[in-house]
Amino acid sequence: MKQRALWSAVLVAGLMATAGCGSASGPGSSTGGTSGKLVVWDWKSGDAKAAGYLEKAKADFAENHPGVAVEFVAQPFDQYYTLLGTAIQSGKGPDVILFNGGGQIRDRSDALAPLDTYVTEDRQRLAGWDAFTKAGKVYASPVTLQGHPLYYNKDLYQKAGLNPDAPAGTWSDFVKNCGTITEKTGAKCFALGNKEGYGIQFFLSAMGSTTLTAQEYDDWIAGKRNWTSANVKRLFELWKEANDSGLNNDGVNSTAMFNDEFALFQSGKAANVIGLMSDVGHWKDFAEFIAPDKIGVMAAPVVTPSATPSLPYDGGIGYAVAKWTKDPKLAADLVRSLTSTDALKAFYVDGGAITSDTSIDVSAGGPAVKTIVSAVKAGKPALHVALSSKTLDLMGRLSQQLLSGSTTVDEAVRQLAASDTTG
Amino acid sequence: MAQSSPSLTAKTAGVPPAPPRRKRAGSRAERLAPLVLVAPAVLVIVVMRLWPLLLGINFSFTGDGDRDGTAVGFDNYLTLFDDPLFRTALRNVGLLVLLLPVAVAIPGLLATFIYLKVPGHRVYRGVYFFPAVLSPVIVGAIFTLLLAYDGPLNTLLGGVGIGPVDWLGDPDVAIFAVVGVHVWATFGMALVVFLAGFATLDPSLLDAAEVDGASLSQTIRHVIVPGLSRTIQFVLVTTMIGMLTSMFGLLYVMTSGGPEGSTYLPEYYIWTQQGQMNRPALASAASTALFLIMLVVGLAQIGVLRRATGKEDR
Repeated sequence: MKQRALWSAVLVAGLMATAGCGSASGPGSSTGGTSGKLVVWDWKSGDAKAAGYLEKAKADFAENHPGVAVEFVAQPFDQYYTLLGTAIQSGKGPDVILFNGGGQIRDRSDALAPLDTYVTEDRQRLAGWDAFTKAGKVYASPVTLQGHPLYYNKDLYQKAGLNPDAPAGTWSDFVKNCGTITEKTGAKCFALGNKEGYGIQFFLSAMGSTTLTAQEYDDWIAGKRNWTSANVKRLFELWKEANDSGLNNDGVNSTAMFNDEFALFQSGKAANVIGLMSDVGHWKDFAEFIAPDKIGVMAAPVVTPSATPSLPYDGGIGYAVAKWTKDPKLAADLVRSLTSTDALKAFYVDGGAITSDTSIDVSAGGPAVKTIVSAVKAGKPALHVALSSKTLDLMGRLSQQLLSGSTTVDEAVRQLAASDTTG
Repeated sequence: MAQSSPSLTAKTAGVPPAPPRRKRAGSRAERLAPLVLVAPAVLVIVVMRLWPLLLGINFSFTGDGDRDGTAVGFDNYLTLFDDPLFRTALRNVGLLVLLLPVAVAIPGLLATFIYLKVPGHRVYRGVYFFPAVLSPVIVGAIFTLLLAYDGPLNTLLGGVGIGPVDWLGDPDVAIFAVVGVHVWATFGMALVVFLAGFATLDPSLLDAAEVDGASLSQTIRHVIVPGLSRTIQFVLVTTMIGMLTSMFGLLYVMTSGGPEGSTYLPEYYIWTQQGQMNRPALASAASTALFLIMLVVGLAQIGVLRRATGKEDR
């Protein structure tokens, strides 16, 4: 009896001692810091579409640093920033880290090493640096660009008797063309899904450059947003009008953007869609259903006469170097290999991503990708990317209320202004 | 333990130091044994339940973002009750409580029909239970397709001349659509409980009612419902718990909390604030509020259950 109690105690103590071992953030082998080896965290390296890209980047790096091993650790994207937060808190982790541009990297710039001195040669060749810059310092080199071109189905334009190579320049002409298309082919003007409240974000950014004046646009990006401006109000009126006058598909508030909205466009049920440049909902996805030469990209139709259209885009994803890495120069060299022209070209060819390197020849990809790349030089950061996630969440709900008529444009703009100023 | 005391008194005269020490050591081990044996259970409860709960409550009094880690008093709670979205979530909890009788009546009525052996009752018994084995994500995906604006249900309604309804896009309709799907997906379990309750019902009472010439509605009202009162109370409690705690999957798939935030429930609000808005302290405050609500509901349910089962114990 005594013996048994003692044994139970030993057993229980043993169990207690082993419980809680291990780490929730993965095995220790995935952390870097040792010389002669670099560890990269990303959510792309498990993707077959990125295999060729990484192959090229690794080869480029191995040529300059033959003795250094590189390990890519693919993390699940939905937990990526949580895992990264744990690594940052403990002050050790990967040497090179993949980031989304904008808030995700700016919020964590304290844990990163500025790259300015290492990437000076790349500054001209690559685009999209702004999304990875904070307080004048660059924290990552851009790999892809993400933005919101206005795609159109040339087939439907042709069937409606319109010239598919001369899309409308002004909003009123655009709406008139849409009327013709709907009349002749039955297709709606816009494919739109706003179930998650993303539809308004794409609309705001796509129509921003032709509704706001250049000054208003630059002020918006710089954080000096004038919500009482007539043109800002006009953007939200446009959103409501487009729906009220029947330009959108039915049931916008219950249609998911991914991928019901894009499915409507691909199946020819709508003539236009505001899509993406990279990853999903872009020219390469559409080309699986519509012949590549039938997918067009048009400049946003002009709403305010003094405004000029520009492509809204930002740096999509980019590689950064952790502050705690042993040899920042070496890690920065790996970042440079990951953004070398050859590697990025492979990413474009396999994944259809619009990469940060605009010198890559895209002429074989069809007219849509050619138009997008040519518009990158004159492009500007997207309006919605400048807003906080709290304001974006509110804007999503308000946009649904605008469509259902349960709020007014004045009230929506007032609430957004209040949310934007309180941060 | 009892047999050790006489030997102890017998040996105290000789005063050999070793045996008493051994005895004392033995009794100490025996005294400690129960403590050691309950330790795992206590530790699991303290470490896995109470400690996180206290941490969460503690976090709810700290700030987010720039004020991370600093004490902010009741600021988070003020923000919370000032947020129209959280108020909607609480209102929806109230709506669920109001819809509870419907959610209990449906399986009760169907179980009655099966018990009364309507034609094909064997088939219905299996068919009704079937959705209960499906994951909410699958159920949600199926109904998102069925209830889509250009989906089959609206086509069907259009066929009989009723205009299309935006089931998941109209803020006044969406919450009822989601609750309806939840009831459809989970009523099979309550049905089984009801059928088990019927098994304990005395058939002679039903025969007596039949002999006395009672109609179906009279039989249900005066014989079946009183006989099943304990089962009904049990189903009431479990259905309420199910509605408050397991609708996240459906909401996530079917409406994402929308349209216009009309289908938010506290759970979904917590997830959004924590995962999407990066405001863990506010999410902790919302969790604490939800915990208090569940505590009140839970205590009320314990009261109901105790009243229901108390008669049986005595």
